[in-house]
This record gives sequence, structure tokens and C-alpha cells, in this order.
Amino acid sequence: MKLTSLLERARVALLAFLGVVSLAVSMDASAIPVFARQTGFRCVACHVGGEYPQLTSLGRMFKLTGYTLGNANDIFNLTTNADRPPVAVMLQTAKQFYASTNPAAGNGTAPSSSFDLQVVSLFTGGHITDNLGAFVQWTWNKYDGNITSGSQYTQSSGIDNSELRWADRIVTKDSDLIYGVYANNRSTMSDVWNTTENWTSDWIGYFNAGGAQAPTTFLMGAAAQHGEVGTGAYLFKDKTWYAELGVYKSITHGPLSFMTGGATGSGGVPELDPSPYYRFAYNKEWGPHSLEVGIHGMTSYVHNYGPGLTYSDWSGSVSTYRDVGVDAQYQYVLDPHYFSAHFRYTHEDMNNVLGVPNSSGLTPTNPTDTLNEIWADMTYIYRAKYGAMLFYHGATGSNDLGMYGYTTNGSPNWQSWMPSLFWAPVQNVRIGYMYTFYTQMGGTSGPMLNAGGLSAHDFNTSMLYATLIY
Amino acid sequence: MKQISKILTLSAVALALGACSTGLDRSRSLLNPNVSGHTLAQQVCSICHGNIGDAVNGNSVNPTFPILAGQQPDYIVAELQEFHDHHRKDPAAQDMMWGITRDMTPKQMKELAEYFSHQKPLPNPEAAEADPAMVKAGEKIFNEGFLEKAVPPCMACHGSGAEGNGPIPRLAGQHADYLYKQLVAFNDDAQRAEEDEKHHVNSNGDDLERPQGVAMEGIAHGLSDMQKHEVALYLQSLK
Ligand code: HEC
Ligand code: HEC
Repeated sequence: MKLTSLLERARVALLAFLGVVSLAVSMDASAIPVFARQTGFRCVACHVGGEYPQLTSLGRMFKLTGYTLGNANDIFNLTTNADRPPVAVMLQTAKQFYASTNPAAGNGTAPSSSFDLQVVSLFTGGHITDNLGAFVQWTWNKYDGNITSGSQYTQSSGIDNSELRWADRIVTKDSDLIYGVYANNRSTMSDVWNTTENWTSDWIGYFNAGGAQAPTTFLMGAAAQHGEVGTGAYLFKDKTWYAELGVYKSITHGPLSFMTGGATGSGGVPELDPSPYYRFAYNKEWGPHSLEVGIHGMTSYVHNYGPGLTYSDWSGSVSTYRDVGVDAQYQYVLDPHYFSAHFRYTHEDMNNVLGVPNSSGLTPTNPTDTLNEIWADMTYIYRAKYGAMLFYHGATGSNDLGMYGYTTNGSPNWQSWMPSLFWAPVQNVRIGYMYTFYTQMGGTSGPMLNAGGLSAHDFNTSMLYATLIY
Repeated sequence: MKQISKILTLSAVALALGACSTGLDRSRSLLNPNVSGHTLAQQVCSICHGNIGDAVNGNSVNPTFPILAGQQPDYIVAELQEFHDHHRKDPAAQDMMWGITRDMTPKQMKELAEYFSHQKPLPNPEAAEADPAMVKAGEKIFNEGFLEKAVPPCMACHGSGAEGNGPIPRLAGQHADYLYKQLVAFNDDAQRAEEDEKHHVNSNGDDLERPQGVAMEGIAHGLSDMQKHEVALYLQSLK
């Protein structure tokens, strides 16, 4: 690379960085996203140490009561508050660093990115009536996280986590009951304990080189891609017992298709027949502590891509993925110290249709397979300003050469660690650095025979980022 | 055409759901002046200031949130007004109570004060974890003050059982962490007021976190950090 173009890049990166910082500093501290405008709360009220998306006890209650708490007129009265814009925007500027920028074809490319604007999300929602509320998100991504060859530069945009909720809460002297119904576009969107892949804290767009090689359960991975619409009902009794049942299905047309808009346009989004989702949890709060322990699961019936079939051909055989798991959360919330830890273990039984590619375009060799996915994370935040996190993510399972062909034995096993540090000079801005170390891939830490001799650590990725939410 | 039918169906769904309204009695609206104080206590205050199981008794669980049960009604009204007017501005007040009181009416404030002052304060479960020696030292400060620094006995104003009186708050059974943070806020205010005086600035209390707490400024300033912890732990242990 020529020196001039290097200098030019450095200049652009610096400008982008300074832009974010100066914009943040010049902002009115009370001008923040939709729900904060509606409630008048600062981020730190609903998010642990201000670290969105992790919800505090209050954040959980806000979501479970249908995003309705706050100062907003019924939209049907048509006198909404003009002084509070009902939209919010999130911008993320980042630069990724890859351990190996030229991996062999078919095993994940890792082109270099400049320090540029990579993710834009728009949010709207909140109180519609005293019982009805919404959370709507739309996202534009500059890069694709899972591309397998060629350029990573494939812009995409579409609907992100979105949900409509109706809820009621009945409080008497010895009972506190919340019950409600929702319609949303991703199983686990309803999670309030941040234990599912949808709401863990590594959520920021992160074009991780290992993403494509690291198999996850259907529930935490593919099912969670906004290509489906589900409806469910739940109750939360005495801030202690939680129960939820839902059912999800792919929708490509009809009135609800707006909920999957942009997410179903291309292949790779599975077609789902009606599939049940459930969650049960025990929640306990004492002093500054809170604890959740629960089970989650979904049985997904997914259409395969038969020969000659394309997405939205509602035919072909159906594979089944039965996911059952346990999850837990611990939180300590008392300024200036904020701490949280999450854990989940999900076991998957797959019933594969042989001879045709599954919804990910892979053709399994075994009629049945299993996969066990493990996630754990810890977060510490001081004064809602300085944060440190550590994540563990991995899976083990049965060998299947058709699906996991990076090694000669077809092992899906992988393991990764991710430390992360961030600083939030004001509540709307987060500047951070995260590093993903892969310690195992394709069941080995050494070179994988069918992946051009790449080893797990060749997929290591790190990212420097600045996020602005306004 | 397709778009129109989409919009129509959606509007119908939204209207149907919107029509299933549980009404004013279970509203969480902070803008509607017709929502009663009792409903707000159930639907809103209970989320933070509530207990588990009995969400409306005002005995909060997390020390971020002060216990309101048995608090003096005059004091509750005064504080709600202070939050509403953005006079009380320590960080926790700005984080949450400014939003809660943004459009609160005087009538709602009165009803809320009435409601919470009639709730029964429960013994604080955190009291069991306190170091007895610190509690003992705190008791001495509460009853005798700390005369070297001209700190009067707390009981002189807050009452022998720290039950409070009118605009003077009840402190008995309150979370120690919350009490300590307030003492620090009064202490910082004392320093700010001193600075203002030194530079002949009349700030009108605009730079103070709790401008109504003038009576507490010198008192908090006279106590060391350790003493603040001690007296807070003693107060938490009171029933
Ligand atoms: C989002 C959580 C939250 C909700 C909901 C909430 N509060 Fe508070 N409240 C707080 C916090 C935090 C403080 C402590 C503020 C501080 O430290 O300055 C507080 C303080 C108070 C105080 C001052 C107590 C004292 O001892 O000085 C009163 C009075 C009060 N709240 C009343 C209410 C009422 C009435 C409601 C319902 C309409 C309510 N709060 C709802 C979080 C909340
Ligand atoms: C001269 C009377 C007086 C004395 C003596 C006094 N206080 Fe106070 N205290 C007050 C008043 C008045 C307030 C209410 C301030 C306000 O409205 O902001 C108060 C408020 C407080 C608060 C805040 C409570 C809350 O709910 O936010 C604490 C804590 C406190 N006092 C502790 C003490 C301690 C500890 C002592 C003894 C070392 C003490 N006070 C002695 C008058 C007094």
C-alpha cells in the first residue's frame, strides 16, 4: 500500500473518531433514546451500569409490562408529545483486526476493514395505549459477518428485533401478577434475562472471522434471524415465577410480513413450519442481588432445500431441531458497582433429512446428530463508565462430515474466549475494544486438514469500536 | 393495493388490542392527571420501591431505592416536589425520580404521600449483616452527636426512634447504603456552599444536590466517612 493512501486512511479514521466524540460531548445529556425519553429515566435505570442491552430488574419490569410505563398519551388520542421524538438512532464505527487476513477459500475470509461506519440501527416504539406497546428496530450492516469467500463488503439492511406487546399487571396486597401476549420476529426476542444469543452483550455488530465455522444450536443461531414471526403468552408472578409459551413460523407474505422485511429476501434464512418455543424461570431478588435460573427450549421444523428448490418454495422435506437448555443469571446492582454473570447450556437433537441440503445449505451425513452449546459471560462496570467483560462460547457434538467438514473426522467442537473493555464517557457513547480468541475449531486447536491448514487461532478477531446512541 | 390491505389489517389488529384496555385503575401513564395516587403506587412506584410478594408496601429490596413505608407524608410531598422542580439533583434522583415526577400533579403527590406513610415499615433484612461494633458506634452518634465537630445528636430532630416528624424524614430501618449516600451528598453540598461563600457567589442553591437539606450540611460535614457508615448502619438496624 502506498504511504499516501495509508495516511489518507488514518486521517479518515481519526476524523470519524473525533466526529463521534465531539457530537457526543455537544449533546444534551437528557436527550436519549425512545424509552428513556418516554420514562424520563437515564440508561442506567433499566440497563446494568448503563450497559445496554443487559436489563436491570426495572428494565425487565418495563419490558414485561409492554413498554407502556411513562409519559405518553394514548396514540389513539392522537396528542403524542411533539417534544420527544419517537425514534432513536444507533451508529457504530469500528475497525476489525484479523489474525489471518487471507484464509484459504471456503473457510471464512477476513478482509481488512477501515475504521468506518459499519452499523446503523433505527429504533421506534414505546407506549401505544396503557396496555399496548412496541419495540421496533431496523438495521443496516455494511459488512456481512458470515461470508465465505470473496469480498466481505455486502451491505444488508432489514428489520431487526421487533415486537408488539400487550400486558396487564394486577397488584394487590399479597399478589403481583403480570400477564401478557406478544407478537415478534425472533424466538428469544422476549428474553428479559439476557441469557439468549439475541440479547447477550456481544451483540454489537462484530464481523468475526470464526463465525461461519462455529456451529450453534438452531434456537440460538439460525432460528434467531428475524425470518420468522411468532406469538406467545407469558406471566410473571410476584417477581418470582415466569412462564412463557410461544409458536413461531416463517412468513414471507401477508400482513405480518413487514415483521420479517429485509430478513427473508435472500437465502440462508430458514423456512419454519409452526414450531413451539417455551421458557420457565425462577427469579429471586434480595438486597442489591438478583438471581434467575430457568429452562428454555424450542422444537423447530425446518424445510430443507430440496434439489431445485429456492427460498419460499413451501415444499421439500423437513428437518427437526429439538433444543432444550438451562440458563442462569446473577446481578449485583448498586452504584458505583455493577456486576452480572450469565450462563446457558443448550442441548440439540437433530433429525436430518438425508441427501438434501438443510436450510444452511449443508448436507448432513447422519440421520441424527447432537450439539451442545455453552455460553458464559461476566461483566463488571464501575460508575456506569468503565467496564470489563469476559465471554466464553463453545459447542461440542457428534461428528458429521457433511456439516462440519473442516477436519477429516467432521467434528463440530469449538471454543472461544472473548475479553472486552469499554469506556462510556457519557451515557450515549461507548468506546471499546474486544478480542476473540479461538482455542478450538473443528475439534482441534491445531491445523484443520480440510481448511487449508488453518488452525483455530487463525480465526482470532479483535475490534476497536465507538458506538453512539441518540 | 397490497400495501393498503396490509395497513388495514395491521390497524385492525392494533385497534383490537388497543380496545382491550384495562382502564385507569391499572394505568402506568405518568402523564394522565386522572390516574390516582393509589394506582401509581401499585403500577409504578412498586417496581422500584416495592417488596417481593407484597409489591405495594413500600419496603424496597435494592438499597438504590429508599424505603417509603411509614415515611412522613410532609417529607414525601416535599421530596416529590423537589424532584419535579429538579432541585434535588444527586445522580440517582436524576437517573429515575426526575422522570417519575415530570408531570406529577400536586393531588397525586398528596395521595402518594398519604398512601406510603400508612404502610408498615418492615425490619430491614440487611441489618443482620452489619458489623455490631459499627452499629454500636453509630448508636452513640445518633444519641449524643459528635460534639468535637459540633454535630448535634440526630435524635434531636429525627426523633428518639428516628421516626421523623413533618418535613424531617423517618430514618429508622432505611437502607444503610442509601443513608450513607445522602450524607455524602449533604457533605458535598456543605463544601459547595462554603466555596460559594468564599467567592461571594449567590447560587440560590442551584449548585447543590439537595438544596433543601441546609440543616444537614454542617452535620454531614462534621462526620468522618467512617462515622457516616456507622450511623447509617445503626439507623438501618432500627425497627
Ligand atoms: C425507576 C425506579 C423508581 C420508581 C419507579 C420510583 N422511584 Fe422513587 N426513588 C427512586 C430512587 C433511585 C430514589 C433515590 C433518589 C436519590 O437518591 O436521590 C427515589 C427516591 C424517592 C423519594 C425520596 C425518599 C427519601 O427518603 O428521600 C420519594 C419520596 C420517592 N422516591 C417516591 C416515589 C413515588 C411516589 C413513586 C411512584 C410514583 C416512585 N418514587 C417511583 C427510584 C424510583
Ligand atoms: C437540625 C435538625 C436535624 C438534625 C440534628 C439532624 N437532621 Fe438529618 N435531616 C434533617 C432535615 C430537615 C432533613 C430533610 C432534608 C431535606 O429535605 O432535604 C434531614 C435529612 C436527613 C437524611 C436524608 C434522609 C432521606 O430519606 O433522604 C439523612 C440520611 C439524615 N438526615 C441523617 C441525619 C443524621 C445521621 C443526623 C445526626 C448525625 C441528623 N440527620 C441530624 C434535620 C436534621
